Amino acid sequence: MRPLPRFLMPALAGLALLAAAVGSLFLGRVNISPADLWAGIVAPQASLAGLVVSELRLPRAVLAILVGGALGLSGAVLQGLLRNPLAEPGLLGVTNGAALGAVIAIYFGLAHVFALATPLLGLAGAMAAGALTFAFGRTSSLTLILAGAAVSSLMAAFLAMALNFAPSPYAAYEMSIWMLGSFAEKSWDHVLLAAPFIVGGMAILAVQGRAIDALTLGEAQAESLGVAVDRTRVLVLLGVGLAVGAATSVVGSVGFIGLVAPHLVRPFVGHQPSRTLLPSTLLGATLLLLADIGTRVIPTNTELRLGVITSLVGAPFFFWLLVRLRRMAP
Amino acid sequence: MRPVLRCAVLAMLAVLAAGGCARAAAERAAPRRIMSLNLCTDLLLLQIAPRARIASVTFLAPQAARALFPGAADGIPLNHGSAEDIINIRPDLILDSGLGAPLTRTMARRVGARIVEVKDANNFDDIRQIVRQIGEAVGAPMRAKALIARMDATLARLAAHPPRRRLRVVAWSGGSAVPGKGSLTDAIITAAGAVNIAARPGTAESSFGVEELLAADPDALLFGGATLGQPSLLTDEGQHRAVRRRFAGRRIAYNDVAHTCGLPQSADSAAALRRAFDALPPRRPLR
Repeated sequence: MRPLPRFLMPALAGLALLAAAVGSLFLGRVNISPADLWAGIVAPQASLAGLVVSELRLPRAVLAILVGGALGLSGAVLQGLLRNPLAEPGLLGVTNGAALGAVIAIYFGLAHVFALATPLLGLAGAMAAGALTFAFGRTSSLTLILAGAAVSSLMAAFLAMALNFAPSPYAAYEMSIWMLGSFAEKSWDHVLLAAPFIVGGMAILAVQGRAIDALTLGEAQAESLGVAVDRTRVLVLLGVGLAVGAATSVVGSVGFIGLVAPHLVRPFVGHQPSRTLLPSTLLGATLLLLADIGTRVIPTNTELRLGVITSLVGAPFFFWLLVRLRRMAP
Repeated sequence: MRPVLRCAVLAMLAVLAAGGCARAAAERAAPRRIMSLNLCTDLLLLQIAPRARIASVTFLAPQAARALFPGAADGIPLNHGSAEDIINIRPDLILDSGLGAPLTRTMARRVGARIVEVKDANNFDDIRQIVRQIGEAVGAPMRAKALIARMDATLARLAAHPPRRRLRVVAWSGGSAVPGKGSLTDAIITAAGAVNIAARPGTAESSFGVEELLAADPDALLFGGATLGQPSLLTDEGQHRAVRRRFAGRRIAYNDVAHTCGLPQSADSAAALRRAFDALPPRRPLR
């Protein structure tokens, strides 16, 4: 497929994001007419519509955009840095680290002590996991992947242990449900907590375009072009750790967005990694917004969790990738 | 299997079988060593049977009993519901929920204990039925009758003095599993003279998100205290700031033991809820 003109893809992805964001404000479990919602937005008094838009749907949409953007961007940068189409944000262990931190908060009932204990401990867990991956894997891309896998499995082992020793059946249920991811009952408090880390991490990742472009030629060639590959690796790890760690600690594990988004934009922008970054960010946000809208409008008695939707849609994507690779291979 | 090991196992089984035969003969008389394998049967057993005849309750019982009848479980050996516990305690009657492990039944047969399955209670009729059932099983039918009479008196008093206005309430501490129609909590709310707005037909528990909560705009939110064990994430989810603001001063705590297990005290919980409802100040509805 011929790449689209340079600015067309980001513009299209941006339009899709805008449509999804508007949709997420107007769609929900409770049917409120668009006119009432609009009145609620412009005149925020104590009306139901105003309350629903300003305190529920708006923070939820903002969080979905931040988290989806963080996942899409991290996936694109990691696939470029590691030159591996299967690279995704969970690869470096930060997702499992965040999940472990949050589960520890649930385990000890810390959420009872102060409301934001779960996301805060999740953030600490993500940072600890990222530091561990860094300590063992900073020397080369291969060791980074291996260290990430090792840290991921270590965190998964602790997660399994926490479930095993759950203080009550309810706690075990809550831990496993938390890990499925959800935007339900997220408020501005969660946005304020996660946004600085997510934006900071994304800012670090966004400026790695030139380095990952050079890396397509190989590490030695990139070095010869003046790219400090070691420094790039460290910065990417830091950026992914901040952005994805904060995202996971607030909404739970959300799979596949970071893997799928870069693949979906790549055919349209040509295979230059730096050109996937912006569209992949916008598309990641759009996909997550759509998934969140799905959890609200699909009528189920028990809330359909975000991680379930993204996996249900994301796993078949693997098959598509496989078929496409087979067709391209001789 | 090694010969030595096999001999040991056979010897152990023989001992168990002999114990079983000896016990089978004495089964007709009232049970003297009663064991409960489930929190809800623990709490009923502690009220119905004479203490001297209770051989063991589960490890969950002391904390739950503390809220309802302090000290009742003190000094009674605790079990974790395992087959080994049954060998240790050697009961002659086992109260279970019917959800226990199959090995439990095998072991119970081996030690010659009778198993009485007590179903979950989801309304006050169920409670009458299981209290009577346990009363007969443990040989204390009069005590069971007295407990039912006391519960019925409480319910009758509530029914005789209906509230001026039926409040619309919901047991909500986070939207992931809210008790609806056919749940014990629903029955208690109804007995207290209020309407459970989550009582949609078909599901005993369902999701009831913040949006739905604000749209339904109930008069009060009920939430279970941490009496059953560790406080949990749900407590955090109930603190969405839109909910906190809208329902400030209108959140009522209930004893979640009496809502999880069908007990004579479930009627007391209804009475406590009624008192809390009566004390609620009036308020302005959302537009």
